[in-house]
Amino acid sequence: MSKAYEGSLTTKYIGTPSGLFDQSDDFWVINFPRSFTHQHTYGLLTPFFRGLTEGKLMATKCTNPECSENSTWLPPRADCPDCYARTEWVQVPSEGKIYAYTMLDYAGIGIEMETPYWQIDVQIEGVDTIFKGWLKQGKPVTGMPVKAEFRTEDPTYTILDICWVPK
Amino acid sequence: MIKFGEGNLRVPQWSRRVFMVAGGCTPFRKYFPEYKLEELVMMGYKMMLEDNDLKLSPKEIKDSIQYAAYGEFADHFQDQLLCEAKIHDYLGLDPLWNTGIKTGGATGGAAMLNGCMAIASGYADCALVSGWERMDEVDTRTGNFYISTAACKDFETRMGRIYSSYYAPMANRFAEAYNLSEVTRAKVAVKNRGYAMSNPNAQQPGHHTVEEVLESRMSAYPLRFLECCAMTAGSASALLCNEEMAYKLSDHPVELFMAGGTHTLRVADRRHMDIPLLPNEKPGMYDELLKESGRWPGFESFLAARFAAYLAYRMAGIHDPLEELDLVELHDAFTISDIQTYGDIGLRPYGQEPDYIESGDAYFEGKCPSNLSGGLLGTMHAVGATGVWQACEVFWQLQDRYDYIHGDKKWWDRAGKEKPADWKSLQVKDPKQGLWISHAGVGSHVTCGILRKAW
Repeated sequence: MSKAYEGSLTTKYIGTPSGLFDQSDDFWVINFPRSFTHQHTYGLLTPFFRGLTEGKLMATKCTNPECSENSTWLPPRADCPDCYARTEWVQVPSEGKIYAYTMLDYAGIGIEMETPYWQIDVQIEGVDTIFKGWLKQGKPVTGMPVKAEFRTEDPTYTILDICWVPK
Repeated sequence: MIKFGEGNLRVPQWSRRVFMVAGGCTPFRKYFPEYKLEELVMMGYKMMLEDNDLKLSPKEIKDSIQYAAYGEFADHFQDQLLCEAKIHDYLGLDPLWNTGIKTGGATGGAAMLNGCMAIASGYADCALVSGWERMDEVDTRTGNFYISTAACKDFETRMGRIYSSYYAPMANRFAEAYNLSEVTRAKVAVKNRGYAMSNPNAQQPGHHTVEEVLESRMSAYPLRFLECCAMTAGSASALLCNEEMAYKLSDHPVELFMAGGTHTLRVADRRHMDIPLLPNEKPGMYDELLKESGRWPGFESFLAARFAAYLAYRMAGIHDPLEELDLVELHDAFTISDIQTYGDIGLRPYGQEPDYIESGDAYFEGKCPSNLSGGLLGTMHAVGATGVWQACEVFWQLQDRYDYIHGDKKWWDRAGKEKPADWKSLQVKDPKQGLWISHAGVGSHVTCGILRKAW
């Protein structure tokens, strides 16, 4: 036990006064700063993000013969929502067609890409879902063929490790 | 494909009837430093108690409440976990049970639905529903990022860090699939921001032109700033009752029917499926449309909204929404999401959504006006409060009290504003029933509520 428990204490404020952000006769608005980092797991989806760093686009597929849908998922999911079986990893073609798009002009704080840029949604043969990504060069048109590029050097370990270029 | 089991399609049935007898709200502002959050909630709550022609005193009503449902979108914004406990204590309602509700943008609607369930089940005869948000503790771009964490953090958030970028691809897709022009989209912004001119509580009212909307700064192509709702600080409250309590409290209670639907958070995960048909739709009517677009709901429509309406219309016995509803309040967080919803809730068949605007039906004195309150674009989106406030706005219309709530000098004074000399009443003539939609995510949760005059 610390010696401190045995006697009286003198305590000092050791914070940093953060000051007033705004004030009037009626109210004070204080600053309330903080900075911290979350540690976030990719869990069973880790093979997908590892795949990006290896130049592979990995999806999951339900192969349960009892399942009515046997969907292929990208973004992947480890458990099939139709029959609750564990899905299996499959590599899917790293090419597809643009289904929808937007140009990001005004982004929220912390954006990791130069704005403006094109965000695209890609339809991939054999995949039941549509996959969101960003177009590295060119101008998107609905139906335009695109192929994936992977950031295998100096990866970000995030979804930004894949992008698309016109095919 | 999503396939429903028969059990999944059961239409909800209240065990006893549910009524709304009062509503209240604060003025809505971008920055509200004069009041703490609990003080803002008290302001809307007191308006609910004092300004709805109730037959009992505020103290007697307080003494009648047995339950509270509280809506708050994001702990990020409040920077306070368990706000519900602080608010509940501040309103003097301990030790009554309360539940905190969170379903993104549909939080207000979900809180209303939770309040309905408390009444319908018999847990309470008199329940408070209150929602709030204070989005003014951070700057706008930090707020944009917070909201974008209501997209998938692994696969979507980093792709824009702003919610407009998750709606914008739908806007482009919708424009191509259903022949929607930018002008029609802009008209929604002009209409709702224009109606907000009559609302003393409105955050961003304005008489804009289509050209101004289209020339305003781009957020995510094709959505411009004037097509996006704002971040707001404010609160709203509603009082729900069983039948006996409703008539004890009010000579003008309104009956409430309500249901909800959900769909994937990521638009990407939407698989093709059959369209659940509304009571006035015929099997086969969308065969041609589906041949062209290839998938439903695709990026064009919202399954959650369709499913909520599918259930709510059957609960309320509504066959033809356009004919039977006298007004609607829709979740116009973006012009495009407003337009997409017209098809989902049957104001037009799918593929013909733009005609609801172009025909004039959506305007004051049209067949079924929408967002006479000013909506989210013109008046507010204090997220947790929004679905509660929308219900209040429909409720006051049904009670023929639009002019008092929006026109009385008292409310303009409370908001610290001058009532405009050209203030215009938007009271619908003798309305019988109205609908409101509360909507989250890119269609992840949607409630559909129907309010019907019960006197």
